[in-house]
Amino acid sequence: MKLRDEFLRELQAIVGQTNRRVTVADGPRILRCEVDQGTALAAAVYEFILESKELAQVDTAILQQSSQSLCNRVNYLLEPISPIETDIDGCVVQMRSNPPQQNESGKYYYELFLRRGGSIALYRYEKQPGAIRSRVPVTLTHEVLGRLCEDFNATIEEILAS
Amino acid sequence: MVLDIERDQRRFKQIVRGRIRENLRKYITHGEMIGRRGKDAVSIPLPQLDIPRFRFGKNGSGGVGQGDGEVGDPVGKPGDDPAGSGGAGSEPGSGHLIEVEVNLDELAEMLGDELELPHVEPKGTASISAEKAKYNSVRQTGPESLRHFKRTYLNALRRQISTGNYLPDDPRVVPIKSDKQYRSWNDVPRPEVNAVVIYLMDVSGSMTDDQKQIVRTEAFWIDAWLGKQYKGIEKRYIIHDAVAKEVDEHTFYHTRESGGTRISSAYKVCAQLIDSTFPVSDWNIYCFQFSDGDNWGDDNRQAFELLNEKLLPAANLFCYGQVESPYGSGDFIEALRKQFGENDKLALSEIADKEGIYDSIKLFLGKGK
Repeated sequence: MKLRDEFLRELQAIVGQTNRRVTVADGPRILRCEVDQGTALAAAVYEFILESKELAQVDTAILQQSSQSLCNRVNYLLEPISPIETDIDGCVVQMRSNPPQQNESGKYYYELFLRRGGSIALYRYEKQPGAIRSRVPVTLTHEVLGRLCEDFNATIEEILAS
Repeated sequence: MVLDIERDQRRFKQIVRGRIRENLRKYITHGEMIGRRGKDAVSIPLPQLDIPRFRFGKNGSGGVGQGDGEVGDPVGKPGDDPAGSGGAGSEPGSGHLIEVEVNLDELAEMLGDELELPHVEPKGTASISAEKAKYNSVRQTGPESLRHFKRTYLNALRRQISTGNYLPDDPRVVPIKSDKQYRSWNDVPRPEVNAVVIYLMDVSGSMTDDQKQIVRTEAFWIDAWLGKQYKGIEKRYIIHDAVAKEVDEHTFYHTRESGGTRISSAYKVCAQLIDSTFPVSDWNIYCFQFSDGDNWGDDNRQAFELLNEKLLPAANLFCYGQVESPYGSGDFIEALRKQFGENDKLALSEIADKEGIYDSIKLFLGKGK
C-alpha cells in the first residue's frame, strides 16, 4: 500500500529527531502525523490523521456504522475503543477508550474522531489528579502505525462503498 | 408519679439530631437517603441507640467477700487474669439500624449549620398571590370537629334566658341544633416570594450513571435547602446532548443519550422557559447545571452568549458543576472562568467524585443569593 509504505519511509527518515510533522499523500488521501520523537522502531505521536475530501458528502448514519467497524478493527491499542458520542449537526462521531486506563497517576485514553469533510484522527489524553486534562504523545511502533494507516484507509473505503 | 414523656421525647430527638450531625458529611456524600424521601420527611438509618442502664448480676455468683481464697489474701487487680483463647473477630459487627424520620426542614437546618450556609436573600418583593385557607369565620353548619364551643354555649345561654328556661339556681346550659356554631374558613390571597429551581444536565454518551447519581445527590440537598428558604418552590428539569428538552424528574435522572454535547441547546431551552413561565420580576430563579465539560466544537461561544445575555441577568444564581467522568473533566469550566471569572451570580464547582459533593454544595449555596 503506497500511503503506508511512504509513511514508514518518512518515519525512518526522522529517526532521532523531535517535533517533526510527517505528511504523505496518495491521491485525495493525506496522512498527517505530528511526531514528538522518532526512534528506529517506534515514534511518539501527538496526532495521527488521515484526511480525505472523499468524505465530504457522507451521511451521519454511515459514519456511525463505520465508526463501529473502525473500533472493531483497531483492537491492538492499549485499550479497546468504542463510539461514545455522535454530533449530528457537525456530522462527527467521537470514539474513546472504553474503559479508559486508570491508575494512581491518573486516567489515560485514546480519542478518535470520524468526521464528514472529512478525516479520521487519533489522539491520546492524560488526566492527572488535580490537573487539567492534556493531550499527550502516544508511543507506537512503526508496525502499529503502519497498521493504523491501513485500517483508517479501509474505513474510508468502507464508507465510500456504502 | 407523672412521667414527663415530652421531655424524654425531646431528649431522644436531641440524641438523634446529634447522631445525624456527627455523620452528616457521610449522609451528604452518599445518596442512600434519597430513596427514603417522603413528602415532608426523610427516613435516615441510624446505628442502634443504646440507652444506658444498670446490669444486675446473679445472686451468689461471686462478688466481694465470696469465692475461693482465705481471709487476708489480696484481691486481684483488673487485668491480672490470664488472657482468654482466641483473638478479636475480623468481621464487622452486626449492629442493628433503626430508621429515624427527620423533617426535611430540620435536615436543611442541619445542613445549613454544618456548611455554615447564609440564609438566602430573596430578590424583589413578594408579588405572587397564593390562596391560603384562613379560619376566620363562623357558620351554622359544619363537622362536629370544628364546633365553636364558646359561641355555641353563648347562643344556648342567650336562648335559654330569652325563653325563660335558664334557672340561676340550676345553671345548666344545653345547646340544641340551632345554637350550634362551627368554625369556617375563607380563602385569603397571601403574597408569597416564589422561587424556581431549574436543573440542567448533560446526558450525552460520556456521562455515566455514577455521574448522574452524584448530580442526584447534590440536587437532593439543594432542594432541601432552597425548599426551606422559600415556600412554594417550583422545580424544572432540562436534559441535553446536542439537543435539549424539558423533562420530568424521573426522566431527568434516568435518560442516557449518545448524541454529542452542545451546552448552548440547554441554555436556549432554559431561557425560553424563563421567558414563557417565570417572569424575572416575580420569581427568584436558580439554575443548576451539571456536565462533564466536554462541550463540542465552537459551541462555547454560542453558550456564553446565551448565558451572558439571557440567563445571568435573569437568575439569582447560576451554578455550574463539572462532574468528572471516567475520561477526566472537560475544559468548559475553564472557559467559563476565563469568560465570566468575576461574575457574582455565577458559581463554578468541580466535582471529582462523591466526596466532592460536600464542598460543591457549600460553594453553590454559600453565596446566600
